[in-house]
Amino acid sequence: MAAAGAEERQMLAQRLKAAVHYTVGCLCQEVEEDKDVQFSKQSIAAISEITFRQCEIFAKDLEMFARHAKRTTVTTEDVKLLARRSNSLTKLKYITQKSEELASSNMEQKEKKRKKSSAAKGARTPGEQEAAVTENEDSNTA
Amino acid sequence: MPAASGRCGGSGRCPDRRARPPPRSSVPLSAQDTVDRLLRLHFRDGRTRVNADAQLLVAELLKVFVREAAARAARQAQAEDLKKVDTEHLEKALPQLLLDF
Repeated sequence: MAAAGAEERQMLAQRLKAAVHYTVGCLCQEVEEDKDVQFSKQSIAAISEITFRQCEIFAKDLEMFARHAKRTTVTTEDVKLLARRSNSLTKLKYITQKSEELASSNMEQKEKKRKKSSAAKGARTPGEQEAAVTENEDSNTA
Repeated sequence: MPAASGRCGGSGRCPDRRARPPPRSSVPLSAQDTVDRLLRLHFRDGRTRVNADAQLLVAELLKVFVREAAARAARQAQAEDLKKVDTEHLEKALPQLLLDF
């Protein structure tokens, strides 16, 4: 019984790793164009492995933050706490959160006024454009 | 950003401790769903869920992480006057990256 559960979990993990790898590939491509470099396949694979493992750390931390606040649902406050180490990230998160709230309320508006919704507004959260800070020059490193 | 479609679907033979069982068919996961499942994979408690806004923020955080890792590795390669970024450049940038996150 436990073995089947573990196998299922592993298969899910595989799918997720593949999804992460795909997205990492896309993001690396943007950086490639931006900085005029080329990433070797191994380095892209390494970045996606690192990201996947970092997710585990994030997940456990988030769960603990939520539990510390006596909640079972992870909220944006927990995520902001997660990003505390980097100075610029904390500021960025604040802005991003504001846009999240706007985005959520926008989505509700759209549901009601479907006929008038234009393509320009889109479902893309403004937050995605905010976080285009590639090199955190002023991150907490000297 | 679309997620890759899974080749394998969970057989769902036995109920697992997560609130929702994984999908049975290889339906592609939406980006949001992917983040949610990624986190839930590692939660100790089956009851822990993630707020929708928090999911978006985590997705954003992960994207920043990836971009940062890529940019730092690229910078390392450029410092060595190379155009091809290899794992050794990533290795050099990794310690500081992990400390910063």
